[in-house]
Amino acid sequence: MDTVALLLTLRLALVTTVILLLIAVPLACWLAFTGSRAKVFVQAVCALPIVLPPTVLGFYLLVALGPRTAFGRALTHLLGHPLAFSFAGLVVGSVIYSLPFAVQPLVTGFAAVDRSMLDAATTLGSGRWDRIRRVVLPLSRGSLLTASVLSFAHTVGEFGVVLMIGGNLPGATRTLSIALYDQVQDFQYAQANRTALFLLAICLVALMLLYSLRPESRPRSSDLV
Amino acid sequence: MFLVRAILLPAMLLHAQTKTLRIAAAADLQPVLPSLIHNFEKSSGAKVEVSYASSATLATQILNGAPYDIFLAANLAFPQKIVAANLAEESAPIIYAHGSLVLWAHHGLFHHGLTMQSLTSPTVHRIAVANPVHAPYGAAAMAAIQSLGLKSALQPKLVFAENIAQAAQFGQSGNADCALISKTLAITKTMHQAGRFVAVPVGAYPPILQGGVVLRNAADKQTALDFLHYLQSPAGRNLLATGGLVPPAQ
Repeated sequence: MDTVALLLTLRLALVTTVILLLIAVPLACWLAFTGSRAKVFVQAVCALPIVLPPTVLGFYLLVALGPRTAFGRALTHLLGHPLAFSFAGLVVGSVIYSLPFAVQPLVTGFAAVDRSMLDAATTLGSGRWDRIRRVVLPLSRGSLLTASVLSFAHTVGEFGVVLMIGGNLPGATRTLSIALYDQVQDFQYAQANRTALFLLAICLVALMLLYSLRPESRPRSSDLV
Repeated sequence: MFLVRAILLPAMLLHAQTKTLRIAAAADLQPVLPSLIHNFEKSSGAKVEVSYASSATLATQILNGAPYDIFLAANLAFPQKIVAANLAEESAPIIYAHGSLVLWAHHGLFHHGLTMQSLTSPTVHRIAVANPVHAPYGAAAMAAIQSLGLKSALQPKLVFAENIAQAAQFGQSGNADCALISKTLAITKTMHQAGRFVAVPVGAYPPILQGGVVLRNAADKQTALDFLHYLQSPAGRNLLATGGLVPPAQ
């Protein structure tokens, strides 16, 4: 087992999950409670990574955010290196790639919060962010857990984007899924088998954890897509 | 019903087309094969489909039953694996070309005197090479870096592409400053517009002998053999040379 790749994969999944929660909670709040016409558009954009080939994302990250465009050059200047071939690049890719897996369970959870509770809080003088912090979030613990576990597991399972922008650097961009690909190409089937089994186990355990901690709500199809 | 037919019809037509030759080709051949295929299709009446990837990717696919008719690799080791697995018509791969490794650098990096030693310059941050495990040109690049005594200086700058075409793409897109790639890719218009190249000294890496085999399970063995002969014919050799390969001595 490639422990460097394993640690990198876990680090990438963890960093991605934390960043995603920071982005997805306000985004999901807006989606759950807004009456704006832009909602459909934002919902569609958030769900895009589910249906879009990872190669589309890889292409844009590599070319549009690469040193050949003005924006890419500014980014390169800011980071001190191009987005490609770096851990930061993988984080950006993973955050976009796993976004729907964080946003959608949260929207479902937030929308299910009893409106009368929110009205009561308003009557008691609670402001908008206060209502979210003290009513919506505590009542959506299950959805927060679902969002975290799915974001984490989906990032562990990332491959196409990493293959396109990673550059296969040990400790920086060679994740377990890439290490497995290399082992298969190198005809090291015994090693590949160990890596594949390990990835299978991580993902299975993550999903079992999710379902065992949320027995009250049968997995809704809307949580998974 | 209409939809079902619309989806299935192209597949049915493909089946009806008896002479379809499926080639698994190493990524360095991507700029070279189209003109060869065009001429071969015209003279033989066969239809040719090509899948490009690193030699190792293709070898793994073939060993696991991929339905190709010809395997054109960028070395001898991978087609030899196919021979050893008793999946090839030939008892040894046929050498159809010698490949050349070149050093490609972005325009504006070195105005004169580009050499392998230039890579140690602090203005070079990222050097793209193909993964030496999957791609014969990657293995040649690593051998050259090693034999020129540049390994410790260049190691932190290396980024690894899945195959040689991706290494070129990393360079062309500006994400890497330099790339060690095949001459076949370096002389393409796109790479030529984005940078310049010099040959890596021939003695610095073991010769790149590109071998091919016809696969035992080929659907149309005769057409497959015809194509391999065409590669070795004067017309085929000419096009290989134009594409940046060296046809073997006859």
